Amino acid sequence: MINRAGSPHGEQSAVTIKNLAKRYGSVLAVDDVSFSIQEGEIFGIIGPNGAGKTTTVECISGLRAQDSGAISVFGLSPQRDRYRIREFVGVQLQESALPPRLRVGEALELFASFYAHPLDPHEVLQSLSIKNIEPTAFKNLSGGQKQRVSIALALVGNPKLAILDELTTGLDPEARRGTWALIERMRERGVTVILVTHFMDEAETLCDRLALINRGRLVALDTPEAIAAAAGMNRVRFVPSQPVDDKTLYAVQGVEVVERKERYVTVTGTGDLAASLINALAAMGVQISELEARGGNLDDAFIRLTRETASTEGGPAQP
Amino acid sequence: MTRSMGGERSHRSLAQFLALLKVQAKLSLREPYALGPGIGIPVILLVVFGFISKNVPGNVGNSGLTVIDLYVPTIMVISFIVIANSLPSTLVRDREIGWLRRISTTPVHPSRLLGAQLIVDLVLAAAAVVIILVGGTAIFGARLTVSIPFFILSLALAIAVIFSLGLVVVALVRTQVQSQFVGGVLIFALFFLSGLWVQPVQVSGPLQVVMWYSPSGAAVRALLDSVLNSRPPVLTLVTLAGYTLVFAFVAIRYFRWE
Repeated sequence: MINRAGSPHGEQSAVTIKNLAKRYGSVLAVDDVSFSIQEGEIFGIIGPNGAGKTTTVECISGLRAQDSGAISVFGLSPQRDRYRIREFVGVQLQESALPPRLRVGEALELFASFYAHPLDPHEVLQSLSIKNIEPTAFKNLSGGQKQRVSIALALVGNPKLAILDELTTGLDPEARRGTWALIERMRERGVTVILVTHFMDEAETLCDRLALINRGRLVALDTPEAIAAAAGMNRVRFVPSQPVDDKTLYAVQGVEVVERKERYVTVTGTGDLAASLINALAAMGVQISELEARGGNLDDAFIRLTRETASTEGGPAQP
Repeated sequence: MTRSMGGERSHRSLAQFLALLKVQAKLSLREPYALGPGIGIPVILLVVFGFISKNVPGNVGNSGLTVIDLYVPTIMVISFIVIANSLPSTLVRDREIGWLRRISTTPVHPSRLLGAQLIVDLVLAAAAVVIILVGGTAIFGARLTVSIPFFILSLALAIAVIFSLGLVVVALVRTQVQSQFVGGVLIFALFFLSGLWVQPVQVSGPLQVVMWYSPSGAAVRALLDSVLNSRPPVLTLVTLAGYTLVFAFVAIRYFRWE
């Protein structure tokens, strides 16, 4: 494939988005989002429900036209060159089903016939460990099997870019692990992947880089580790010698979230949490035992970053 | 280079369409919407009216025609209505479950799935016509002298008007539940107007006019004239063409792929 885009630095960018904006009525679903994705990268888009993740990838795949901003997919415009782009972009849609009596093998053969250089449908099914359901009608599949068929359809056209939206929602833990392994294999084949997810463990495990979107805005853009570290969150778990109410705990410097499970109290926040808590509680005559402290993970960063934008903006984005 | 690329593109385009045609044909055989009713209902009606005709021979409404003579065109139009009713059943569902949207992410536009489905349904309608014509004449003794050119023209217009009305339903309704309701009401009205319960020749006055100039009644009239070796009235053919144009316009104007 010739690189028609001819990026000036000679570094191939698969997708570039500049100042993307999309409005539905009075709601600004995506507001001035910019990022670029390198070829071969597994790029995660995370954010709360309704953050604008799906709208963003729908604009990339050409299913929706943006109101303003520029999108380039391997040097092409998803709107102007939509038919050329569909040739090498595989899309797995959230909540899309097949006709109930269509058989898995038939669906794969059909989609393979749509593309110029498809993969062998049998091999795709084999690699997803669902070769056995080839003669099964879609309506007789389990949730996990349906999800894998949906992924298979996104891959059978041999795409250079695969867009996977809410890939493992509704899957049992084993099926999720299997799907993750499959994404890893796509990485080995050099396929660029955009993964939309609201599972932080999935983003942490699979993605090279993440874009965190909240209320249509890009809040963070970095590796999962860097985003987790930058949020500067810590987590402390302990057992108090006598009951302590939430109000007292929230009054301690740096405390942001208090959770309880059986005897344990888990506190998430910033700064030297353990020392602050020990001092504050000791002053009230409460001892702490079974203390465990660790750095925050992506989950904590997610909660902090999405809450921050919510409180600084004070409501939905206005024009 | 342009020519070879163009050739390759049209070759691929044909291969894509044939693959869609194959899948839509298989689904039509598996799903109960078109094949069963589209062939089954005309066969049942043919038997019922065939036996009535054997037992009550004669001259219905002073038309000089027997029951089976009159019902051959009506049963044909009823088979088109039943087949057209499967369009919403399959296409509204395919849209509602996101299948058409899923197709639209590929290099193939979902309009080609619609095209493939229409071809499958046309083949089914043609099969129904052959069964009704052969069964009506050979088994139940309808005395027909088919005027081939007018018959082909009338068939084409009858199928066009009924199928385009089916596509209007596909375009306007949003859910499968709505399409079942709308389809049910429309089927009943179209059956009546095509003369299933009472033939237009048996009624008079405004009701006969309404029947003759309704979409299904006009289709019956055009077919009736052309199977009796006469020319359908120009006004009937124009009526059918007019309905088809209006229905096609509405269907195209309001069609949604997702």
